[in-house]
Amino acid sequence: MTTIAVPLGAQAEQHEAEVVRRPALSEYLRWSVDHKIIGVQYGVAAFLFFIVGGAMAMGIRLELWTPELDLMASGAAYNSLFTMHGTIMIFLFIIPMWAAFGNFVVPLQLGAKDMAFPWLNAFAFWLIPPAAIVVLLGYFVTPAEAGWTSYPPLSTLFSGDGQTLWALGAHLLGISSIMGSINFIVTILNMRPPQMTIWRMPLLCWAVLATSIIAVMATPFLAGALTLLLLDRVAGTTFFNAAGGGDVLLWQNIFWFYSHPAVYIMVLPGMGVLSEVLSIHCRKPVFGYRMVGLSSMGIAFVGFTVWAHHMFTSLQPELRIPFMITTMIIAVPTGIKMFSWLGTVWGGKMRFTSALLFGLGFMSMFVIGGITGVMLAALPFDIHVHDTYFVVSHFHFVLFGGSVFAIYAALYHWFPKVTGRMMNERLGRIHFAFTYFGFLFTFFPMHIVGMLGMPRRVAVYDPNFTDWNQVISFSAFVLGFSTFIVVYNVIHSYFRGPVAGANPWRALTLEWATTSPPPVTNFAEDPIPFEDPYGYGTEASAAYLDAVDAAFDAEPPATDNS
Amino acid sequence: MERNRSNIPSISPAAVVVAAVFLLVSVIGVNWFTTFVPRVLPPQASAESRSVDELFYILMIIGGVVFFLIQGMLLISVIFFRARDDDRGDGPTYHGNPLLELVWTIIPALVVVYLAVISFNVWNQNSEPKAAVNMINGEETVIRVTGARYAWTHNYETSRLNPEGEPIVINSGDKLHTYIGQNVELVLRTQDVIHSYWVPAMRVKQDLLPGDPATGGRPTEIRFTPVRVDGAAYPAEYPIVCAELCGDGHGRMRGTVIVYEDEAQFLAQFYEPAIHAILNPPADPVLRGEIVIQEYICNSCHTLDSLGWSSRTGPSMNGIADRAGERVAGQSAEEYIATSVWNATAFVVPGYTEQMASFGPEQTDANKMSAEQLYAIVAYLCTQGEQSDCDNENSTVAIPAAIKTAFGLEVDITFGQGDDAGESESAPSGE
Repeated sequence: MTTIAVPLGAQAEQHEAEVVRRPALSEYLRWSVDHKIIGVQYGVAAFLFFIVGGAMAMGIRLELWTPELDLMASGAAYNSLFTMHGTIMIFLFIIPMWAAFGNFVVPLQLGAKDMAFPWLNAFAFWLIPPAAIVVLLGYFVTPAEAGWTSYPPLSTLFSGDGQTLWALGAHLLGISSIMGSINFIVTILNMRPPQMTIWRMPLLCWAVLATSIIAVMATPFLAGALTLLLLDRVAGTTFFNAAGGGDVLLWQNIFWFYSHPAVYIMVLPGMGVLSEVLSIHCRKPVFGYRMVGLSSMGIAFVGFTVWAHHMFTSLQPELRIPFMITTMIIAVPTGIKMFSWLGTVWGGKMRFTSALLFGLGFMSMFVIGGITGVMLAALPFDIHVHDTYFVVSHFHFVLFGGSVFAIYAALYHWFPKVTGRMMNERLGRIHFAFTYFGFLFTFFPMHIVGMLGMPRRVAVYDPNFTDWNQVISFSAFVLGFSTFIVVYNVIHSYFRGPVAGANPWRALTLEWATTSPPPVTNFAEDPIPFEDPYGYGTEASAAYLDAVDAAFDAEPPATDNS
Repeated sequence: MERNRSNIPSISPAAVVVAAVFLLVSVIGVNWFTTFVPRVLPPQASAESRSVDELFYILMIIGGVVFFLIQGMLLISVIFFRARDDDRGDGPTYHGNPLLELVWTIIPALVVVYLAVISFNVWNQNSEPKAAVNMINGEETVIRVTGARYAWTHNYETSRLNPEGEPIVINSGDKLHTYIGQNVELVLRTQDVIHSYWVPAMRVKQDLLPGDPATGGRPTEIRFTPVRVDGAAYPAEYPIVCAELCGDGHGRMRGTVIVYEDEAQFLAQFYEPAIHAILNPPADPVLRGEIVIQEYICNSCHTLDSLGWSSRTGPSMNGIADRAGERVAGQSAEEYIATSVWNATAFVVPGYTEQMASFGPEQTDANKMSAEQLYAIVAYLCTQGEQSDCDNENSTVAIPAAIKTAFGLEVDITFGQGDDAGESESAPSGE
């Protein structure tokens, strides 16, 4: 039918099976403008923060083992614990972790040599360590204890200096996020190879594009809110102080105008990852490619109109209904994605790799977060469960069941490309089992305690909820333990894993049409993308994949290595 | 095989059978869910709770169908579409089906429109202001709720007058008293940060927003109507919870709604005794102090075993009379206690922070305290110790000059004078 494209052009000779050396570990500790180095820097830093934030979550669950305050010295110490847990997980783990995969994978998928602005890219990363230090320095004064949402006047008139440091740190992270996003937008829109129209772009690129547009539009509002907060705290202004003519709802409005879209900043790249992983490991094209790509944009757009559902118990009553309606509408593009993924999986030839397991785990858990999202949008029911453990459960199903499962899927999927080694699949499956069941039994019962009457952010609770909380805490420890498995797997596989070869998954996207790890300039010559990034099952695609294999290694692809 | 699947992959007979089984399972599952539901929600103690729970059932049924549909299809895929170990081939090149995509766009859109409409109806029904609110003896009463770190205070502004001709205000502390069928409407104000007044059994919640104190704050309202709960013994009690993070003692910021069976029981067990107690306070200042101290929010931060308080945000008041005389050089035990209440930050116990509010005649709402109330509290706290530092011998409470001026009083109050003390204390306010 069509001419069979080969990745390195018609004139491609047999590539010399030259071993590309992995960068020395010291490269990762230095300033570097190579997007692959920066991607790993982002990823390792974010994962370290994941461990710190996770340890804090273990502290939270340990405290909640009994209904009394016992582990923590005071309620304030507990408050600062979950404040830091939320701040670290959102600003220092999930968002930078997507910058990690975006940085490493997106230029490769576009067949580009680097990001559009390599120096800006490095600068965006190097803002993160000082920001983290500023936030954590709060522990040496009075740590921030107003929750990651930092509602005034608790965060202004009633908090110590740690709150100021928190706001400064968040400010820096916002700047980093904006710079990273501008870079992604420019890269994705300008650096595609001539054959790759926007409708032939891998879906991860679509998702990163949508995410970056959200981040560029929304993050300035966070910066504005934080600036007002800082002025109120240190310069004596009264933007949020009613006694001086200010309004506490002003903060809630601006803050959520950023922070609701931020949910999509955290989950849309995961959805992009899912489209890649499901298609590649089920050996089937993405079902409804255009709708999947467009629904990312739809979510990004509608996501800007729903912020005040976070304020259903404080907003003027007459304004609540419009936000209920917009919030419910967002279920439609999300549903399109979910059904399209089902259509992708359905009838495929599934390889149960760890990456696919986490992808299926994402679908299975994220759907619960989606259902409870619609329930929370229903205003009368939300009034009951607002600010309870039901909400805690909901957003963990979205951000852990969604984002973190997708991060794990991405890790297992792209680790071979990053390091040139395969991860251990047996450990991956064990890791998946612990994570899936630990997660489910940690967060599902939270719906129930929330509905029964347990508010969030409490160290002391009604003793009637003790049994449920012990189930939750026990499962949380299992979930916490699962992290050790993946840490061990990563370290072990980095040194001892089987050599991956260029394209271990037989994937069509361009990041696989080069060595693992790719050379400094990514491709020896400008690569030619296959006409359809997910066109599995055709003779043309098989020929293209064979050409990739032939070009980079004679070894047969190592899809199974358990 | 591959040829078959490459058409519409969903017509394999086995898959149809499994899909049918799943439909059955989901119907049974949804039924099971609805019987399970009463155990995951608090009692339905208000008219609002019934309509909210009905909405919840509908959400649960639709959510259950989506849940079983997606998980079921995933399970089918995992079972039927796994590649055999020796199969290195690809799946069918199937790019999509516009009709199917239209269906799964339109159906969810219709479902959310339906949910929005029914939610809107329930919301309208529940949020509409009602006529005849807070009826007591045929008259409307204003019930004010004050949220302060970390306790609730309820004030009933009754139509009864005290001997001075002022309306009597019943302070029922952290308890809201109501009865079945009373249209409750509360006016909520906060003294410090944002709090959220939540009664899980009533399915109502409303934030308390800080406003400009000069213009009376920024009151918000909450409405509900208690209904009978089958099998409950009356008066029934339901928790009030603070749902918005307010600081150190947030988890302990709780209260109780006490629902009486009818207005007669409400009047007999709460209203009339409360009015009587205000009009006829005990002559013994210690007894009076024991009542007064429980009308204020002291229990939200302090421990006092005699009254069953256990909060640890502030210093413990167990045995305070033994220590009070040694806290501040030159202050007697009485002076120290009185000063600590009137000007809370004058002396902060080492290891604690300046969190306590001050109480006195110049304060507003839940922090307003008359001289007599202050003296009664001092007298009561002077009994909390092994060997009291307080000068109980001559029953005189020595009050610091600054406080005397503020409270507009000229002499120390001497307790134990029987009727005299009783009379002077019958005024609810020192002003």
